[in-house]
Amino acid sequence: MKDGEGGERLEVSIVVSLPGFALDVAWTAGDGVAVLFGPSGAGKTLTLQCLAGLMRPAHGRIVVDGRVFFDSASGVDLPPQQRRVGYVFQGYALFPHLTVADNVAFGLRDRPRAARARRAAEVIERLGLGGLERRYPRELSGGQRQRVALGRALAIDPALLLLDEPLSALDAPTRRELRDELRALLTDVGTAAVVVTHDFTEAYRLADRIVVYRDGRVIQAAPRAELLWRPASEDVARIMGIRNIFHGTVLKATPDRIQLRWRGQMLEAVNSPTRAYLPPPGGPIAFFIRPEYVRLIRKDRGAPDPGHHMNLMSGTVVSQADFGTMWTLAIRLDEPGPPAQGEYDLEVEVPRLVHEILELDRDRHWQLSIHRGSIHVLPA
Amino acid sequence: MTPDTLSALALSIRVALVATLLNAVVGIPLAYVLARRRFRGRGLVDLLVTLPLVLPPTVTGYYLIVLLGRRGWLGGPLYTLTGWSITFTWYAAVVAATVMALPLLVRTARAAIESVDRDLERAAFTLGRPEWRTAIEVTLPLARNGILAGLVLAFARALGEFGATLMLAGNIPGRTTTVPLAIYTAVQTGESGDALVLVAALTALSCVVLVAAGRLGARAT
Repeated sequence: MKDGEGGERLEVSIVVSLPGFALDVAWTAGDGVAVLFGPSGAGKTLTLQCLAGLMRPAHGRIVVDGRVFFDSASGVDLPPQQRRVGYVFQGYALFPHLTVADNVAFGLRDRPRAARARRAAEVIERLGLGGLERRYPRELSGGQRQRVALGRALAIDPALLLLDEPLSALDAPTRRELRDELRALLTDVGTAAVVVTHDFTEAYRLADRIVVYRDGRVIQAAPRAELLWRPASEDVARIMGIRNIFHGTVLKATPDRIQLRWRGQMLEAVNSPTRAYLPPPGGPIAFFIRPEYVRLIRKDRGAPDPGHHMNLMSGTVVSQADFGTMWTLAIRLDEPGPPAQGEYDLEVEVPRLVHEILELDRDRHWQLSIHRGSIHVLPA
Repeated sequence: MTPDTLSALALSIRVALVATLLNAVVGIPLAYVLARRRFRGRGLVDLLVTLPLVLPPTVTGYYLIVLLGRRGWLGGPLYTLTGWSITFTWYAAVVAATVMALPLLVRTARAAIESVDRDLERAAFTLGRPEWRTAIEVTLPLARNGILAGLVLAFARALGEFGATLMLAGNIPGRTTTVPLAIYTAVQTGESGDALVLVAALTALSCVVLVAAGRLGARAT
């Protein structure tokens, strides 16, 4: 299920103009799950509606597994009834006047009665809804409703599965459980799927490929690991909720390394070997440091070794927050001038055990080091 | 009860039932189209349907004469061709009651249809249902209580119609004299006994109708 393996199954290139909003996106996806990720109002749901034929783009082209759904150039526009797309709506849109069994069988009308019943029973069984056939949607829990919505969409053997915020209606524990269940189901079914979410953890858990939306545009489309480790721009990093995004000055950029100055420090970062970014010296540069990749240097192990500890700096913990399994420290560097993030410069995350061993409650002043591979440069 | 009183009651119920049926046939599709489609002239259709709600009934009746009367836009050619005119027949009472009741049904049913979640209809489309089947299988069943409440109100309105009926159908005892007209006549001629029976009958019917509509309306939301 690697990206690109077996070619692209889904080609989307659409322009939609609505009063006060314009969508102009182009992306492709291979096997597996593509997640449209971004803040609400970015055009993710609108894209799903175009894929399903519920909204007509001004122009563009939509191809699913070689079937042209929409092509403004040749005037093709399949109605939703002919696209065979399984759509799980936000809030599920179950028919409240029909039972679970009738909801699941709703799309099977054209099949003979026996085949219809067999298929519905099969789907109900597979989704663990056995025994609930005669219940009405209002008599189900949130998780059960989600499964009925999935079952109704899967029953028609869809060419493409669309899920709009499939987990947002659930409470936190159910949500985590169903997230992993959903991932397993999507992998198992093997239908090309597009999932919309504004939650990055959810996007990362469900996706093979993530398409990042903002203001009606795609700002990055990449396999999920690539997105996580190499966001293409500061915009993408901010939408992903990445912390410690800073602005510095370029000292020197080579295809291997980028040296930069920030808060009186000289920092060295690894340049991307495949996509080297070579900004001119003296120019501005954005970068981020992952809070969980900052090292606190133990004081009982002798002086720090510059050969081993890169990007050495020192600072004081000005505040800390307990997140249960982790602590987040706000550290202010020992440098004159205003800190980068209000009261502090760096957010650093340490596991609870480390917090206890280092006696961070008592000891506030620390030397820090950041491996050059953990400073991520964000191309402008 | 005199034969005239009885015939007025029977005629009123017959007129109201037929008018309600016509309302259902015309009004439910109209309400659906107004709720779910955007087309040129939608505002005009909405205005025309609603107008009888605010116009004095005699004015509505006047327009109906202009349209359907012996020299009317439609009634004229019909009279020339067949020698028959709808005016002063019980059909005229049905037409008047239908037109007067239509805005009540259309407005109530339209609100009920608009309150149906559009994602349910979209879901039906993706599951292969054309729009008309979606309307029958999803939208209208879910708007059912609102539509029934509208029909009950329409029936009540048809039962009590006076002004437009008088204009188009006249007040011919045994032929076009409905209960409201009979009450008016009885009071005018001092036969208050007959009037009282009919007043009581209409009041009781209206109470039943309002309670029924209220129950349906409460369940519709």
